[in-house]
Amino acid sequence: MKQILLIAWREYKQYVFSRGFLIFLVMFPVSLIGLTAAMGLVERTKPARAFVVYDQTGQYTDDIDREIERRRLLSAIAGWDGYVAAAARPDADVKTALAAPFAPAAVNDARARAFMEAGGFDAAQAAAAPYLKPGVPTYVMPRAQFERVPPPAGDIASLAGAEALLRPYLLGERRIARADGSAAPLFAAVLIPSGFGAGEGAEAAQYWSRNLTDVALEDLIGDALDGALQREAVAALGLTREALDDVAAISAPFEAYRPDRAAEEAQLGFADRVETLMPAALTYMLLVIIFGVGNLLLTNTIEERSNKIVEILLSSVTAGQLMAGKLIGIAAVGLTMPAIFLVGGLAASVAASGDQNFAGVAISALFSSPLLLIYLFYFFCAYAIFAMIFLAIGAVSNSLQDAQSYMGPVMILVFAPLPFMIMVFQNPNGFIASLLTWIPIYTPYAVMMRAAADPPMWEIVGATALMLAFAIVLMRFMGRIFRNAILQSSPPKAAEVWRLARRDGV
Amino acid sequence: MPETPVLLENVTKRYGAFTAVDDLSFSVAKGEIYGFLGPNGAGKTTTLRMMLDIVQPTAGRLSILGSSSAISVRRRIGYLPEERGLYRKMKAADSIAYFAQLRGLSSRDAKKKANELLECFGLAAFARSKNEALSKGMAQKVQLLATIAHEPELLILDEPFSGLDPINQKTLEDLIAEQRAGGCTIIFSTHVMQHAERLCDRFLIIAKGKKRFEGTLSEARAGFGRRLHVRSAAPAAAFASLAGVVSVHAVRNGGNEAEYDIELADGADPQAFLRQAVAAGIAMTRYEQAGATLHDIFVTVAGDEAAKSAPPPPSSRPRAQAAE
Repeated sequence: MKQILLIAWREYKQYVFSRGFLIFLVMFPVSLIGLTAAMGLVERTKPARAFVVYDQTGQYTDDIDREIERRRLLSAIAGWDGYVAAAARPDADVKTALAAPFAPAAVNDARARAFMEAGGFDAAQAAAAPYLKPGVPTYVMPRAQFERVPPPAGDIASLAGAEALLRPYLLGERRIARADGSAAPLFAAVLIPSGFGAGEGAEAAQYWSRNLTDVALEDLIGDALDGALQREAVAALGLTREALDDVAAISAPFEAYRPDRAAEEAQLGFADRVETLMPAALTYMLLVIIFGVGNLLLTNTIEERSNKIVEILLSSVTAGQLMAGKLIGIAAVGLTMPAIFLVGGLAASVAASGDQNFAGVAISALFSSPLLLIYLFYFFCAYAIFAMIFLAIGAVSNSLQDAQSYMGPVMILVFAPLPFMIMVFQNPNGFIASLLTWIPIYTPYAVMMRAAADPPMWEIVGATALMLAFAIVLMRFMGRIFRNAILQSSPPKAAEVWRLARRDGV
Repeated sequence: MPETPVLLENVTKRYGAFTAVDDLSFSVAKGEIYGFLGPNGAGKTTTLRMMLDIVQPTAGRLSILGSSSAISVRRRIGYLPEERGLYRKMKAADSIAYFAQLRGLSSRDAKKKANELLECFGLAAFARSKNEALSKGMAQKVQLLATIAHEPELLILDEPFSGLDPINQKTLEDLIAEQRAGGCTIIFSTHVMQHAERLCDRFLIIAKGKKRFEGTLSEARAGFGRRLHVRSAAPAAAFASLAGVVSVHAVRNGGNEAEYDIELADGADPQAFLRQAVAAGIAMTRYEQAGATLHDIFVTVAGDEAAKSAPPPPSSRPRAQAAE
């Protein structure tokens, strides 16, 4: 065992303590923070995109302006919540200490209205001041993303005339005047014909822009016009705009329950969500690890083979010990990266949400699940099956080029069940789920996805027994290929591999 | 250590229809330096791998340090394969310590021993250098040190001199002698006869998987015709006419005299040759009896493939032929 661990530790050290990996460890959070900061900076410094509205009906411009302002306010309140969480003293629980509209909470129209009625951001800043760290700057509202500017002077009596007039501006040949007198490129134009409305045969409003990828303004205009037409329809029924807003703000109280629990524990909570997502997350992690460590196992075995280290190793340890050491060491390398992502992800979500308890809840949900052990068992079975195949490929290859001819089919095998996994996830006891369960190389994936859905026990036990038998036979075959091929000076041809797999001793 | 650390009885290794080693038996005594000679493809490496249990024999029995498998005693064995390498990114001292640890030394002892050996072999300054930064000669030394760091009782070296420059060959010869002085039993395979001649107590010649000879150099020579070196002004034909002479080669011509390499028939008496020469009035300014070289024995015993694979010794024979 000592020899196996020694080999595993050497393999682990070689990759995890390498300069490249350490640089990655530093670069990952730095680039994440840098990227976030850069995006924030770009967002803050980005000038508002100018657009014009040519409204033949003369009714909808105000609705568009209101929608812009509404969105800006919601975004400003979300920014405020982040500011308060980051700027609060560590001992201050701003969620409970601050009064309702100013305390971090869900951002919606009702809160936005209450926020402004309670005095807006100046009042919020004053209310939060006792709980903030000394010296923190005051909150600055994000800039407006869009600015509606008047259409240029000219013949805009008809839509065709407006279109012709606006085209040079939209193509960037001319710049349009802003309210403050400066000139800016025209981002988009909205043309609302006189026949625009909700009725059948009504004319469509037109959105013109050269930028087809940034759809934020297009969405905003669409929503503003939807809201305007809905309000018109509601007014025809004798209701006011406020009444419609109140109706739209209604959110149904809704709770989900699971029937396999006692009544008091039956309500679905955060822990249940984590447990439900765990198999999908583990399946994804498994694929990432297999893909990542497959290359490590290959290059590593090829190095030992081509550098002629393997014979010295085999005079010190058995081929079985060498294989076991490599599998353990490389598995640990493979798990290190997701572990870093997991810890980093939890830390980042704590930082982003300001909720110190989030990580604790997530971790306890993960580790209190009775299914965790089952998941880990199948996780390592799947890893062992595929890692053995990679080791055997490494043993019959003198270079990565040699290995390529074997890698293609293996990768297809690894990723083949992916398209079906969503079906298994949604219908864990359906035909596809059963079928995949009985294919030994996919048993781990399928059982992990089905475990929480109480699949028939006989099916799981039978398929697992088949998988273990398959794994043992595979390990014997791959082990023989490894032992028999690793000392050959030239790699065996594909046709010879089967002969090597059947031969017991070299 | 048992008195016979290595014993092979009727060992055979077949790969399909090909027989790599055929009914091979030999034994190595404790503290002996044992040469394992044979042309390329003779079965040397396969035999050594069977001794180490890296490869299993098809038939026959082996005993290594008293055990039927080297696996259970591998911590007492040091092995340097013919094709050897190091992890490129590993440091020199770490490489030696890693292999020593794999063979049973504790981490602390292995590191200590690695540094001591590097110091002793003049590589202390490179202890923290990565193997890829070492010169070929240095890397070869590191490989050797990794083989002996755990102080083995039995040292098995497969073609240890191949690829070494003359300085490193001398270093290795000294190291082998030093290990033997420390009580280690050493087996090494080679097809460079001078090393075997200088170092081996006994040797085995193998060709096409079969044993052709086992014994000491004297025993080998006893079975071969005698050889004489003479210097004389007489022509080669004068010596060729004497009874018991098989061949006469002029090795060197200088002034009035020439040097001759004379081969006598099996069982011929050199004193009888001398008497005949004096009686025939042949004057000689030099007369010296010489035995067969290991190269001669090897080429004769191992056959044609040996002549192709074994580099000729830098002695008289090729020059003699050149002079002819």
